[in-house]
Amino acid sequence: MSFAASSANFEQLALPLLPSLYSHAFWLSRDHAEAEDLVQETISKALRAFDSFQAGTNFKAWIFRILRNTFLTSRAGIASARTVFLEDHPDLLDFADASPTPEDHLLRLDNQAAVNEALDRLQPPLREVLLLCDVEELKYKEIALVLDVPIGTVMSRISRARRTLHQMLQSQLGESL
Amino acid sequence: MTQTTQATGHLAPDQLNALIDGELSSRESQAIQRHLADCHPCALRVLSATQLKAATARAAQRFAAPPDALARLTAQLRSQEPKRAARIYPFRSIAWAALAASLVLAVSLISWRQIRQANALSAELLDQHLATLSSGASPEVISTDRHTVKPWFQGKLPFSFNLPEVLPADTSLKGADFTYLSGQPAALLLFTIHKHEVSVFLTQRSATAIATMPSHVRSGFNIYYASTHDLGIAAVSDVNPADLKLLLSALVQAQSPG
Repeated sequence: MSFAASSANFEQLALPLLPSLYSHAFWLSRDHAEAEDLVQETISKALRAFDSFQAGTNFKAWIFRILRNTFLTSRAGIASARTVFLEDHPDLLDFADASPTPEDHLLRLDNQAAVNEALDRLQPPLREVLLLCDVEELKYKEIALVLDVPIGTVMSRISRARRTLHQMLQSQLGESL
Repeated sequence: MTQTTQATGHLAPDQLNALIDGELSSRESQAIQRHLADCHPCALRVLSATQLKAATARAAQRFAAPPDALARLTAQLRSQEPKRAARIYPFRSIAWAALAASLVLAVSLISWRQIRQANALSAELLDQHLATLSSGASPEVISTDRHTVKPWFQGKLPFSFNLPEVLPADTSLKGADFTYLSGQPAALLLFTIHKHEVSVFLTQRSATAIATMPSHVRSGFNIYYASTHDLGIAAVSDVNPADLKLLLSALVQAQSPG
């Protein structure tokens, strides 16, 4: 493929993803100016590396991986990496609540503000995996590619992220009652 | 991909997640559906998890890209394409597709922006109208005389306007106030039509989205918009739409005398 054709192709693939890239960059950096810089740099890097993109694979996962790596090497990303996080061991708690009662599991989710707040408070790596899954609607194996972790880790993080959100919302509801 | 169902027979957390994330094969999914049909607690867990997933997506979408940032990024993406190549491959189908995609993006951004602005603006208009209805509020200028009202605004507004010499039947001017609309200075004129209170807002056409807004009903009040070359005009009232439109068109006509 000639360079011109490939760059037109790149533009066609990348253009519809700009809003998603921006929004995800914002969640990573929590700053509008930083988010714009991250997306700019991501576009430049992705175009230069476009030859390494294999047609037929998921472009969105590929460019989100570049965005993530760009963030991790940015000042904000390096700062965030210093906060210790996450042992990705299978979680024994997953099996502790094996006999659910309806009351434990039915959340009143009519309060969007509570969900907004819980998502804000969620540990960044747990939030990141949920955003890729619930907002960007990537498949588990694509998320594994973006985060550079095994698929089992993706599943345990998603499970942990949702359980944490669930607990936050339950305790918020408990306080408000 | 999923763990086997536990000894209790209930869904394991990973199975539940895989189900709501669409990660199961149809065979796995069918087996789980059969379980859900008989197991009320698990069905509730699936319902709850599905709602949480949707609420998470809504929570995340609060931080959409500002239109100007998106415009800069789009421009950057475009400029990556080498100029020379653009001449060699003019109007390739792929370029058309990219153009079409960007148009779709631009149009959807514009309409999204308009809907958001429209909601915010009509809410603001209605709030201000309701404030004028409250008993304690009286306008800065209490006058039925257009020759008193118009000069009062001089020096207060960065634009001027005319009031109609003759108002429609049973329509009268009650007073006026200086106000802000979408953060821009505006004139608020208070009329009554058949004893219904009417608030009319005049702003610079370029300052607000009034010129592009469709008329609509909000909380039982009619909100009508009109524009002239320089002005954006909005009228809010519970009076019937026909009379409200008469007043608006009288105001529009007054801006281009002769």
